[in-house]
Amino acid sequence: MHMADALISTPVALVAGVGAASLLVVASRKVSKIKRADILPLMGVMGAFVFAAQMINFSIPGTGSSGHIIGGILLAALLGPWAAFLTLASVIIIQCLIFADGGLMALGCNLINMGVMTTMVAYPLVYRPIAKATTIRWRIMLASVLACIVGLEAGALAVTFETELSGVTQLPYVTFLSFMLPIHLLIGLCEGVASGLVLCFIASYRPAMLASVNTEYKDSEQEDKKSKSTKWILAILSAVALIFAVSFSWLASSDPDGLEWSIEKITGNAELAPAVAPPTAIIPDYDSTFSGVIGGLIVVALIWGICIILFRSKKSVRSNKN
Amino acid sequence: MRKLEKTLLEVNSLASGTDSNLSALSILIVTLLYIGFMLSVPLYAPQKVILFAIYPVVQSEMSGLGYGKVFLKSLWVLPLILFIGIFNPFLDREVAFSIAGINISRGWVSFLSLTLRGLFAVQAAYILARTAGFFDMCHSLRHLGCPKILIVQLQFTFRYICVIVEEAMWMDRARAARGFGRKNYPLSMWGRFVGQLLIRSYDRATAIHRVMLARGFNGSIPAARSHKMNRASIIFMIIWSALFVALRLFNFESVFSGTFQPH
Repeated sequence: MHMADALISTPVALVAGVGAASLLVVASRKVSKIKRADILPLMGVMGAFVFAAQMINFSIPGTGSSGHIIGGILLAALLGPWAAFLTLASVIIIQCLIFADGGLMALGCNLINMGVMTTMVAYPLVYRPIAKATTIRWRIMLASVLACIVGLEAGALAVTFETELSGVTQLPYVTFLSFMLPIHLLIGLCEGVASGLVLCFIASYRPAMLASVNTEYKDSEQEDKKSKSTKWILAILSAVALIFAVSFSWLASSDPDGLEWSIEKITGNAELAPAVAPPTAIIPDYDSTFSGVIGGLIVVALIWGICIILFRSKKSVRSNKN
Repeated sequence: MRKLEKTLLEVNSLASGTDSNLSALSILIVTLLYIGFMLSVPLYAPQKVILFAIYPVVQSEMSGLGYGKVFLKSLWVLPLILFIGIFNPFLDREVAFSIAGINISRGWVSFLSLTLRGLFAVQAAYILARTAGFFDMCHSLRHLGCPKILIVQLQFTFRYICVIVEEAMWMDRARAARGFGRKNYPLSMWGRFVGQLLIRSYDRATAIHRVMLARGFNGSIPAARSHKMNRASIIFMIIWSALFVALRLFNFESVFSGTFQPH
């Protein structure tokens, strides 16, 4: 579900980035207040665990495709939603910065699609009410499966929405959704079963590792509930304002701007082009798109050649000196 | 398990960057600016996007990575772009231009643009990862105002990847040695296997954390080298930023068709 930079526009990337960054700041403050002695090593090791797990792709029966787990529900069940979001964010940032998996500009979108949808939406709304503060195995398994399905479907919905908003694909929104939702339903089911099995094992052998059972975590959660402030309301209002600002840019007119309109009225053509091509025009008869691509390729090849000559010869001089 | 072993080696190699005078912060800022400016180019202008190849080409050669290697590494993003973009040629059939009597639709133009954007963005991110180094990048993010706990979490996760992969490899070796060639196990067995892996890694991570606390760990990992912006980094940022602005604002590509004009 990692989105690449090519699939989003700059405004969408900026709005998602601001939203995700605000949530990261809130999560950092919340986590620093958690009075659980083992929270730092647990977050670190869980982050590494999810990182390794995300690398293992499993085939989805009957579809010919494959998927990997996201791990948001597993993290939230062990760390609580805020610490889980921070941990999943660190995994996504490492994948982006180190393995170039998921784009830098798309980082905000990826944090929302994978992090927020699982730890902030599916965990509190689905997992916690079903699993409750118990270690009953069927409850944990059911909660895990349903929460993973909800989290992944919400993430898939967000991916299609962001791609549509960016306007990079001609694929109709409904058709795109009909591709995304069924496949993520199956991935969610597989992830739910896998997470459920691991959580059931932990509930049997080390129940104190579960956030809902850990007494230190529950105490700090109770304290945090008492100290709620108006900052939250401000943050939500800012996010809504940003989303509206971007959404309503759809209403912007696609008609030519004032200058183009004036030129069109005077000359009958919005573009101003010289009648005679100058001597630098290598491909004057073709459209500017095609000739631009050819020209661009020539420039790139030239620059690459110059770079190879310059930097490699420099390198060989250095190695000779050594 | 081979994939995990390969990752372990790769993670270790990426901990520190190349020996360059440039600060990680300057490379990070230039990469962000590059991707931002490139993505802001309209979708139907691949001729403009292609000029942005200048950054990955020059920077990969300057850092000694070689553009050929960087290009090959970026090819993994193609399937994703194909999945999203391949519908454009079929759904947008309005003719954009003709070459030797063959009509090229706007869908193909946008598809080409999408492919180029995807490749260049991945190439820029790959160059950043290889040249800046993970720990230097973390300190740069801290300078940019990222919360301390997020940075510590990033560093812990990065370090514990080795812990968890090592544990997984040991467990897999033990399973293979005692399994008499058996490869298929019931699902419940995999749940126990993974649960055991998690608990063992957690115990090891807790022990490491206690040792760190005993040695005076106060919540932040000190940087191994200075991360101040030097003159070379500032010049590097100014030159590239100016070039990105120029590439975005002026129609350099029109030189080839003889219609050069600023926007």
